[in-house]
Amino acid sequence: MFRYLAKRGITYVFMIFLTTSAGYLLAVSTLKPALLEQERIPRPTPEQVVNSLSLKGLNPELNPWERYVDWLTGIVTRWDWGRSPNGAFINAEFGDRVWISTRLFLASIILTLVIGVALGVYSAARQYKFSDRAITAYSYLAYIVPAPIAYFLVQLAAININDTLGKRVFFVTGISTPGMDPGWAQFVDMVAHYAVPTIAITLVGWGSYQIAQRQYLLDNVNADFVRTARAKGLTRNQAISRHALRVSFIPVAQSIAFTIPAIFAGGFFAEKIFAWPGVGSWSIDAISQQDVNAATATLAYGSVIFAIGAILADFATTLVDPRVRVQ
Amino acid sequence: MSRETSPEPSESLPVSAVAASPVGRSTAERLHVAGLHAPGDAVLSVRDLNVRFNSENGVVHAVRGVDFDLLPGKTLGIVGESGSGKSVTSMAIMGLLPETAEVNGSVLLKGKELLGLSDKAMCKYRGKELAMVFQDPLSSLTPVYTVGNQIVEALTVHNPTMSKQAKEVRAAELLGMVGIPSPKDRLKAFPHEFSGGMRQRVMIAIAIANNPRVLIADEPTTALDVTIQAQVLEVLQKAQDETGAAVVMITHDLGVVAGIADDILVMYAGKPVEAGVVDDIYYNPRMPYTMGLLGAVPRVDISEKSSLIPIEGMPPNLVHTPTGCSFAPRCPLAGPECLTGEPPLRKVPGSSAHQAACVKAEALGGDVDVHDIFHAPPVPVSNFAGIPREDRKTVLELRDVKKHFPLMKGALLKRRIGTVKAVDGLSFDIREGECFAIVGESGSGKTTTLLEIMEFHKDQDGEVVIGGLSNKEAADSKTKFAMRKEMQMVFQDPTGALDPRFTVYEVLAEPLVNQGMGKSDIKKRIMELMRLVGLQPDHVNRFPNQFSGGQRQRIGIARALAVNPKLVVLDEPVSALDVSVQAGVINLLDKLRAELGLSYLMVAHDLAVVRHISDRVAVMYLGKIVEVGEVGRVFDNPRHPYTRALLSAIPVPDPEVERNRERIILEGDLPTPLDAPTGCNFVTRCPVYAALPEAKKQKCLTEEPPLEMISASRAAAQLEAETSTALDQRFACFFPDGDLDQSSLVSHASAGPHAP
Repeated sequence: MFRYLAKRGITYVFMIFLTTSAGYLLAVSTLKPALLEQERIPRPTPEQVVNSLSLKGLNPELNPWERYVDWLTGIVTRWDWGRSPNGAFINAEFGDRVWISTRLFLASIILTLVIGVALGVYSAARQYKFSDRAITAYSYLAYIVPAPIAYFLVQLAAININDTLGKRVFFVTGISTPGMDPGWAQFVDMVAHYAVPTIAITLVGWGSYQIAQRQYLLDNVNADFVRTARAKGLTRNQAISRHALRVSFIPVAQSIAFTIPAIFAGGFFAEKIFAWPGVGSWSIDAISQQDVNAATATLAYGSVIFAIGAILADFATTLVDPRVRVQ
Repeated sequence: MSRETSPEPSESLPVSAVAASPVGRSTAERLHVAGLHAPGDAVLSVRDLNVRFNSENGVVHAVRGVDFDLLPGKTLGIVGESGSGKSVTSMAIMGLLPETAEVNGSVLLKGKELLGLSDKAMCKYRGKELAMVFQDPLSSLTPVYTVGNQIVEALTVHNPTMSKQAKEVRAAELLGMVGIPSPKDRLKAFPHEFSGGMRQRVMIAIAIANNPRVLIADEPTTALDVTIQAQVLEVLQKAQDETGAAVVMITHDLGVVAGIADDILVMYAGKPVEAGVVDDIYYNPRMPYTMGLLGAVPRVDISEKSSLIPIEGMPPNLVHTPTGCSFAPRCPLAGPECLTGEPPLRKVPGSSAHQAACVKAEALGGDVDVHDIFHAPPVPVSNFAGIPREDRKTVLELRDVKKHFPLMKGALLKRRIGTVKAVDGLSFDIREGECFAIVGESGSGKTTTLLEIMEFHKDQDGEVVIGGLSNKEAADSKTKFAMRKEMQMVFQDPTGALDPRFTVYEVLAEPLVNQGMGKSDIKKRIMELMRLVGLQPDHVNRFPNQFSGGQRQRIGIARALAVNPKLVVLDEPVSALDVSVQAGVINLLDKLRAELGLSYLMVAHDLAVVRHISDRVAVMYLGKIVEVGEVGRVFDNPRHPYTRALLSAIPVPDPEVERNRERIILEGDLPTPLDAPTGCNFVTRCPVYAALPEAKKQKCLTEEPPLEMISASRAAAQLEAETSTALDQRFACFFPDGDLDQSSLVSHASAGPHAP
């Protein structure tokens, strides 16, 4: 099992290297920070631009391959991912932003999974009853409504609650109020900031898991092995929860691989709307600011998250399905 | 097994297994189990069982009044075709039908009413008093739990106080009882590590875990190969002996129940139409349906050259309750009296237990010939009948055809760890007007052989010559086109082989358009084809789903015949069809061969069908032909031990023959092609090899036996001299007439079906 995961790990490291390198070469040949520098007032001379960018290791006069070698050497020897055209160090900014993104999404991802799978099981057990129809209809709605609109709606609801109560219970944007005393007050402030984005992302997210889990469980409810379990003397519900549930979770576990990276890297709507400066919004900003190193760093991050998601899915699958365990 | 551990003094009684269970039993029950019950004391009695389902088309009355009594230790066979309600009956008894099903009547288990109990209340009986073995062993075990886990679960449900160790010991004992080697280690295996036959053994182990009083087996061997079927039936019988349970055996195969059932219930359209002791049903059937069913099955043990009995039409749709006898629309004897009111089951005069639901039961005594009743077509005579084989043209020839698949391992860098020899040096030829059959278990390479023939490519290993066209010489598209005109194929699953969006006209027109035929000619040809295969020409505009399975297969045959091929490849042409329908298709194939001078290459696992239709047969084992020859020679005088075992494993629909014959039960399953032995392929399972002295064994292990002309036996040599022609039979074995290992022989001759 460990050897298997280690083998997969090595494969993913190789894949991350390839995507990141390809991403860098693409970025370096298309993004031209020198053009943006020219819009400054007073307009700098081309020599000044080249000079200023060279100081940050972004010399536009080198060819892409030379810059790629420089950039790669920096990472391999010093773990230095370079600098932005504005002089900021990628390593430092990346550290801050990853932490913000993680805080924003981790709780929602876990909640999304747990609620989605639980509701899927619940609705499958009550197929075609009112609760099933209501839950599944909601999931389809959440599927259809574009995420930004859903986030705005949750924000509006939070503001409404604030207005009704006459005091500010929830913060709809931002990470924390600066200058709070450590302790209880800070904790309450944190919760007040966390609540709205977490709820919003969770409400939108669980639909796909609910639909998938419901469908896979229903596929297995009348499976031959459930009938065998009932013939042994288990009640229908016992047979379903002991035999069908685990089998139906296998495909859901596999789908985790593709949703976790999607939420993380594609979370720029949430980050923009709730004003959490995370990795997602950074990646968009990097492109608009012709920032080669930042764009590549966010891409590398996306691949790492994808690899982690895939390994997690492999791990979960091997845990629940003995057929894929390798000897 | 458990007999040794039993503290019971009464050794001869099958109560030992009960004693092994920790739950105490009352004295009355012990007597009951021991068979000391009053006569007529049925362990399970079903009265007027009715099951209705709601469907989109209305209420389907799937089971309409089933009655039977099951005596302890006895076996009841319920026989019927698909849709006859036999499985629904068993599920209703088990209480496993969906909640939407409406079940009426009475099911008494040892005097206690089971119908109407809640799911929870039924759980006390399911798995403990009533147990079931299902049809498909591949899907009946939960894939994510170990086999041991699933057996232990059956014990836990009914014996919550049993200790973990005791349960494990019992589980291992059960696995051993059903014949799984090294049961203790195998408890930790997952279902996917077991073959189909082994999984069915596990299912039986689960079913008998709590010594049930009634064991229901729903088509327990239908999904298995014949040699494995023989093993599993043997295990079922042993399980019955160990537990003393009464068995309900549900099957469509009249052969399977002939040897092991005490009583038979024949079902048709949701109703029992004939019931009685096994000999009554097989030797003195009184209901035309039963008679037709018995006549529709070809026999593997008799070389009969009469046509099979086709039962025209199809079973009624149970949405509409039949007003008269439900079989009347298909019955050749039906008169006006059959259409007023459904006949009930009535006692047949001269027999105590024999009942039949037919108004003419009295008239249908033993001296009535079924062939006359059902107007079986005359045996067709081919133009080639008189011409010796050597003088006919060769339509297909294979020379040393091989198909080896490399077995690879590794994620990025693949390395070859072995070779699967799916087809390993096949040579045979088919002459005009001849039917050549390839038989063998799944995995023996039958289908790969067909695919290799259809492939027809230059780079193939070996030569394929079809109608004089060789794959080696010119395998360009033109030759291939010409080849396809020579040879066409009929597939196993008639539903899957026809495009559901094509009308029959379009299905049949496609090959003709390909051949560049004009529109009016196509139309004429299609009408001709429809009549040829026995379909109404005005049905050409229907879609395949508007036809029954048998009719669809006829469409498949018509499609194959459209371009006037010389050779038709038949891949399991009737295995997806019910017995009564199967007979019609086989008769049609027989007729077409004679009328059109066709040659057939048939692949089949049903040896009875092969015997009926083929002239020559090849038995395949692990990619090689082990015996080949004229069908009568090979079937009546098999020389290779595998052929002998295969033939002995096939159940025959004749209770007398079944009870008295000796069966060769092969050990284990087909070995994986990876560890195929170097010498003879068959050594791992060979009953002759097992009995050979050490000195001779070496030859089997190291040398590959060639496929040779028969000449070893003196009798054969004599026969050869008498007829002055070489006998058409070759086989690949060094010791064809060697003694068989005694442990592989099973016979129930002295004890009857099963002694109490």
